[in-house]
Amino acid sequence: MNSSTYLNHLRAARTRRDVLRGAANGFGALALQSLLVQDGAAARVSPLAAKPQHFPAKAKSVIFLFMVGAPSQIDTFDPKPGLKQWEGKRLPESFGKIQSQFTDGSTPILSSPWSFKRHGQSGAWVSTLFPHLSTCVDDICFVRNFYTESVVHAPAMYQVHSGRILMGHPSMGAWVTYGLGSQSENLPAYVVMPQPEGTPEGGTPCWSSGFLPAVYQGTLLRSGPSPILHLKPPAGVTPERQRKTLDLVQKMNELDTEQTDSEMAARISSYELAFRMQSHAPEAVDLSKESEATRQLYGLDQKHTSEFGTRLLLARRMVERGVRFVQIYHGGGPVSIQWDAHSDLVQNHEKMCGMSDKPIAGLLKDLKARGLLDETLVIWGSEFGRLPMSQSGNGRDHNPHGFTMWFAGGGIKAGQTLGETDEFGLKAINGHHMRDFHATILHALGLDQHKLWYLHNGRHEKLTDFGGKVIQSVFG
Amino acid sequence: MRRTSFTIAVLLLAAVACAYAVDRYKDDAKDDAWVAPRRNFWAFRKPVRPEVPQLNNPWVRNSIDAFLLSAMQSQKLTPSAPLEKEKLIRRVTLDLTGLPPTPGEVDLFLADKSPDAYEKLVDRLMKSPHYGERWGLRWLDIARYADTNGFELDSERPHAWRYRDYVVKAFNHEKPYNLFIQEQIAGDELFPGNNEALVATGFHRAGPIHLVGGNQDEEMNRQEVLTEMTTAVSNVFLGLTMQCARCHNHKFDPIPQSDYYKLQALLATTDLKDKVIASDADKQAHEAAVKAYKARLKPIEDQIKEIEKPYREKLRDEKYKALEAPFRAAYDLPKDKRDKEQQRMAKEAESQLKVSWDEVLAVLPPDVKAVRAGLRKQLHQLEYTQPEPVETAYAVSSLEKAADTHILKVGDHKMKIAIVEPGFPRVISGLGVPPPEGITGRRAALAKWLSSAEHPLTARVMVNRIWAFRMGSGLVKTGNDFGALGSRPSNPQLLDWLATEFMASNWSVKAIDRLIFTSSAYRQATLDNKAKSAIDSENKYYWRMNRRRLEGESIRDAMLAVNGHLNTKIGGRPIKVPIEPEIYDIIFTEGEPDNLWPVDQDPKQFNRRSLYLLNKRTVRLPMLQNFDQPDAMSSCPVRPVSTHALQALSLMNSDFAAEQAKRFAQRLTAECSADRDCQIRRAYKLALARLPRAAEMSMAQQFLKDAPLEDFGLALMNRNEFVYIP
Repeated sequence: MNSSTYLNHLRAARTRRDVLRGAANGFGALALQSLLVQDGAAARVSPLAAKPQHFPAKAKSVIFLFMVGAPSQIDTFDPKPGLKQWEGKRLPESFGKIQSQFTDGSTPILSSPWSFKRHGQSGAWVSTLFPHLSTCVDDICFVRNFYTESVVHAPAMYQVHSGRILMGHPSMGAWVTYGLGSQSENLPAYVVMPQPEGTPEGGTPCWSSGFLPAVYQGTLLRSGPSPILHLKPPAGVTPERQRKTLDLVQKMNELDTEQTDSEMAARISSYELAFRMQSHAPEAVDLSKESEATRQLYGLDQKHTSEFGTRLLLARRMVERGVRFVQIYHGGGPVSIQWDAHSDLVQNHEKMCGMSDKPIAGLLKDLKARGLLDETLVIWGSEFGRLPMSQSGNGRDHNPHGFTMWFAGGGIKAGQTLGETDEFGLKAINGHHMRDFHATILHALGLDQHKLWYLHNGRHEKLTDFGGKVIQSVFG
Repeated sequence: MRRTSFTIAVLLLAAVACAYAVDRYKDDAKDDAWVAPRRNFWAFRKPVRPEVPQLNNPWVRNSIDAFLLSAMQSQKLTPSAPLEKEKLIRRVTLDLTGLPPTPGEVDLFLADKSPDAYEKLVDRLMKSPHYGERWGLRWLDIARYADTNGFELDSERPHAWRYRDYVVKAFNHEKPYNLFIQEQIAGDELFPGNNEALVATGFHRAGPIHLVGGNQDEEMNRQEVLTEMTTAVSNVFLGLTMQCARCHNHKFDPIPQSDYYKLQALLATTDLKDKVIASDADKQAHEAAVKAYKARLKPIEDQIKEIEKPYREKLRDEKYKALEAPFRAAYDLPKDKRDKEQQRMAKEAESQLKVSWDEVLAVLPPDVKAVRAGLRKQLHQLEYTQPEPVETAYAVSSLEKAADTHILKVGDHKMKIAIVEPGFPRVISGLGVPPPEGITGRRAALAKWLSSAEHPLTARVMVNRIWAFRMGSGLVKTGNDFGALGSRPSNPQLLDWLATEFMASNWSVKAIDRLIFTSSAYRQATLDNKAKSAIDSENKYYWRMNRRRLEGESIRDAMLAVNGHLNTKIGGRPIKVPIEPEIYDIIFTEGEPDNLWPVDQDPKQFNRRSLYLLNKRTVRLPMLQNFDQPDAMSSCPVRPVSTHALQALSLMNSDFAAEQAKRFAQRLTAECSADRDCQIRRAYKLALARLPRAAEMSMAQQFLKDAPLEDFGLALMNRNEFVYIP
């Protein structure tokens, strides 16, 4: 790493003393004293120390609900009643060849099998696929005119997560953690919860730190007694026994007089954080204290919603405890557990919506009731949308040309629907690139997309590359 | 949805796609005028061998010290005290081999009171085969090497490891760096018939590549490949960020966009193609072995099919009944009676009728499922008997036809501006290597140009890498960027002296290594000093040695080495070690997720050096990743060093760490029986190459009163001193 770049970036990060103070409960006060008097070395600070926003903004945390495989916009949030007249016909020739992964736009048009209604005070349109979410529309800002560059899942996933269609760039969560640090003393700053049946097609690069230091990578989190990889000592090692070993490590490190500097202090405090995580993370994922009403709200009492509901409840518990970025995947692994409805759209979307509708509505209601929604930006989206034309007769191929994503909480102006696609729901009108999506999210968090950079192989790399437009209307 | 079958891109589509006329590039004069005044930048002027300062100071052992001391003196700085002998052997052994010294090696060195004891030690270590492994780890970071393609399928490259072994061998056998470049850039063109040189061209394919099915824009895919290759050549050998000039003239360096595409044109005839290098007899034997192997699998595959058959048929039947009338009608028609529309509908009906593996599994009764699972297990067991692939070079060759290379507006292949001819970046001129004409020999010309002794960058970039590797920071801190945005050399005379010395020593990396290792500068302690820090907090003047953390790979190797289980076998196909279930779960597949990570059958292979573990781009081994292993997506000149709690968790709690701690305890018990003090002394000697101090001894005795020996071993391996080079 270019250390000067790195230090420049750590604007008002905590000092070494604070880092040590935070770590003080584990090792001897004497040692702490001896560390603090050593002021020779250039001060190094914890890379995860909380850092101020570039400008005041409401959102402190993000929960990104990612629908793996691409839901269809025209069957969910972007009604196109006019398609009924085109049913079975071809798209007008003036559209030319339509880029998609398997089809070329010449297949017959398939209108939506679901009906739409306006909901809430705002009168937002939602299809019958989302009976629960439709009760939350007044907390949501729909944006119907996103577009992306690739028709293929993985590159499009990389683009929505990291701004490029190529893998290897830091993910949004990594950038946000790099920019804002952690608010939690006891948990990772950036956690990831994939579908238990399998990972999204883009795989781990979707939550990697790319060329940023590994400290900014997403940490896999699951429910159960060992929510984080290697959190627990191996079987047979009691916490007391481990504490003893850890104390020996720390005491030996204190003896290394040559190494009493901040870099070594950071290493000592990382062991303390690891130990604190051991006691806090299981508590953070322990849902037994949640009320029956809360469990029902997330659908934990029903078979088809309990799995995703559990992860969303975990997400709330994470942001409650200061986790900065929660990345959740709905779908992954076998094709039947993805939103990728190349055939049998009805069966696919009814299943996927059935699994996710109630938990998502539950999350929004719960965050709101607890006063967390204001500072938590919830994002719902995917790598692209689906075509209005059919594939395999009753399915839809990929549509990167225009699709819907939505925001809730985190200081956005709720109860509005922005942007549109053409009369077929095919192409975005005055569309927003993924760069705009990212610029908008950074803006909600008080981060200036142009100030959040990292020098990599001679280039000031940014999440938004050469810059996106903040969609100001999202904020009213 | 994805398709697992794909065809390798046909490379000539660019010519076809370019149906409209695009002019030839005509802006030479304009670009020349833009570049000319900036040729004066230090990095573009050929290094001139500077006079070595004559200091008459006993600290000066060789020219390196003379340059450094002279610079220190100008800042009123003085060098640090030399490192104690026992720490020095640990430092130099870790640096040269990536492994800690054995107690026997330490004792020998401490006992050797001859004045050249240290020099003899350096000589011995440089002859160790681990020397090339140590360099291999470094070079593979620079060469963005991994064993898989990356992206969603992330398939393994069954032959890529030969390039890894080539690199290890090249460093061990002191291959001249100019030849090392030539072989990697154009081994196929320059040394036809030489398999080693052919394998070296795997460099061009070491990076990621996106292979996926469906509608593909082949021209765009080809652009992505060429962009990746061009970037690598520029970063790795030139130390320039020419990729910045892909979309526009370079913002900071005199590299016009035309020059980026001229460089790309030098690579545009490159065909990414495996080449079988086995003998005919081997090929025939392999074919027979494969036939026998398939015959072994078939009975079990057939049984599985047979078991699934009724359920598959039933599922398909249900799907058939659910087909909408027009689709069913089209499907029911005999193939030759379908009109075009019916053909389409029949095809679509066919895809609606497909039954996936998870649908079948969902309807199998438990007892049938168990039988099937048993058969799958048998099948996977048999798959271990798959014959090794026939010996093949993961290499490149040259096409006989090539598409024109265009300057592309913002790098977009749909926006062609002008056709360019292959050529070298004009900011570096006067090397006397003519650019190639026509199709053939393009990479050969590039190789000759890059490896020219007249080249201002090549030698400087490499000696700077050697220096950064050994001294902990480069003379130019940005190893892949010698341009305006990169840092200026902290000691330009030393850099140029090293560059000229490198070429004068027949481009021998070992020669420069030897100079560094035998300098006084390298032998300094790392201890900080307040007064000196106030003058030079970044240690640009090398008034002390930089402290360096071991890479995750080396920490893992060291853990295996101290408990005596390290398997020191060199080279060969990459090894799959056991992985945690959480990591297994993140392997992407839409297929049945069994046997996605068949670990090696011989558990001794799990103890191989980290260099030989399968490096899969989307599935990283957590311990290595946590310690900042690069993602192999682009050339990594210097690894970042971050410190965080996940490192502590993997070093304290992983099964790997626990196993090594147990083995460590077993070794101590075997060598010392129940003699506590012996165990403690031995543990220190093995792990830290020194004996415990009195305080450490009593601390250990106290700890071991009621804690098992393995916990003591674990604590030692988690200690700062264990993971840092002294």
